[in-house]
Amino acid sequence: MSTLSSPDSFRSGARASLGVTLGYFPVGIAFGIAAARAGFSPLEAGFLSAVIYAGASQFLVIALMGTGAPLIVTALSIMATNLRHVLYAPAILEKARERAATRHAWGWAGWLSDGAFGAAIIALNRSRAHFSERFMFGVGVGPYFSWLAGTVAGAVFSGAVSGYPVLDAALGFLMPALFLAMLLALVSRRTLGVVAVTILAAVPLTLFVSTTVGIVGGMVAGALSSLVDWKGGNR
Amino acid sequence: MNSDLLFVGLIVGVGTWAMRYLPTRIDVSSIKPGSPVSRFLDATGPAAIAALCVASFLPLIEADVKALAMLAAGLAGTYLGFRLGRDISIASIGGALGYGLAFWLL
Repeated sequence: MSTLSSPDSFRSGARASLGVTLGYFPVGIAFGIAAARAGFSPLEAGFLSAVIYAGASQFLVIALMGTGAPLIVTALSIMATNLRHVLYAPAILEKARERAATRHAWGWAGWLSDGAFGAAIIALNRSRAHFSERFMFGVGVGPYFSWLAGTVAGAVFSGAVSGYPVLDAALGFLMPALFLAMLLALVSRRTLGVVAVTILAAVPLTLFVSTTVGIVGGMVAGALSSLVDWKGGNR
Repeated sequence: MNSDLLFVGLIVGVGTWAMRYLPTRIDVSSIKPGSPVSRFLDATGPAAIAALCVASFLPLIEADVKALAMLAAGLAGTYLGFRLGRDISIASIGGALGYGLAFWLL
């Protein structure tokens, strides 16, 4: 595909994450509705999306606030759900290799949500020539503001959307569909083993322990499996 | 604004930002290509997305024909969208359309 902008431009990054930008808006609406139903104002819902910007954690905040648990315990346990994010930036920088730069990482790394990370990895899988800090800002900006705008819209218009259960159901499937689409874009013969091990580990851990342990445990097990020489060629 | 919410929001927000940013301080240029650390980090992308897929799909699996039919329609819509458009946004919208359509029809 020919393009007028260079692969490492801000615009190229924004284009790489366009799917996530589109997908985050309705999911942000879903969060805004949930926040409004839990008694939060549009300003409070928007504040959570602006400062946390991590869907699962935000849903946990609205579920746990007011349960009587000490605030610091609540905050730390919610933060634990984001542990997987620790590996996102190193994985991107490893893909970028000699192009890796971190001068402005305090900005773009803060926007590395699950979706933005997936979009960046898909682009860098195609070519590491995509990497630049402005590309990473481009990847991050759309999903962040889409999530924020969706949240506020959902909180303001919560009553209107809940009258359409079909729309509610379709919006609820957008996030799973987005992750599945990312997986389809990343699966190849080279990564099939990693994906299979991740799923085999994540399913029982999610079912029998917790979703957080399932995500982190599955991810680490899958990534560790890449160290195994399945063909036994070196033995 | 509720002060408890402000406190929890700021703590979780700063903590999440730190978890995303601080690992960029690690010098990855010292990691040799093909080394175990390099392979581990390289596999983190597909592993993270696969794990998030599991977490988002498991709650949708129920012992109910309607729920399973909706799930199948959503999966088919996502796959078709991806095959036709080779684009994750088209695939996501295809999945949501399939799921919503099945919800409406059943």
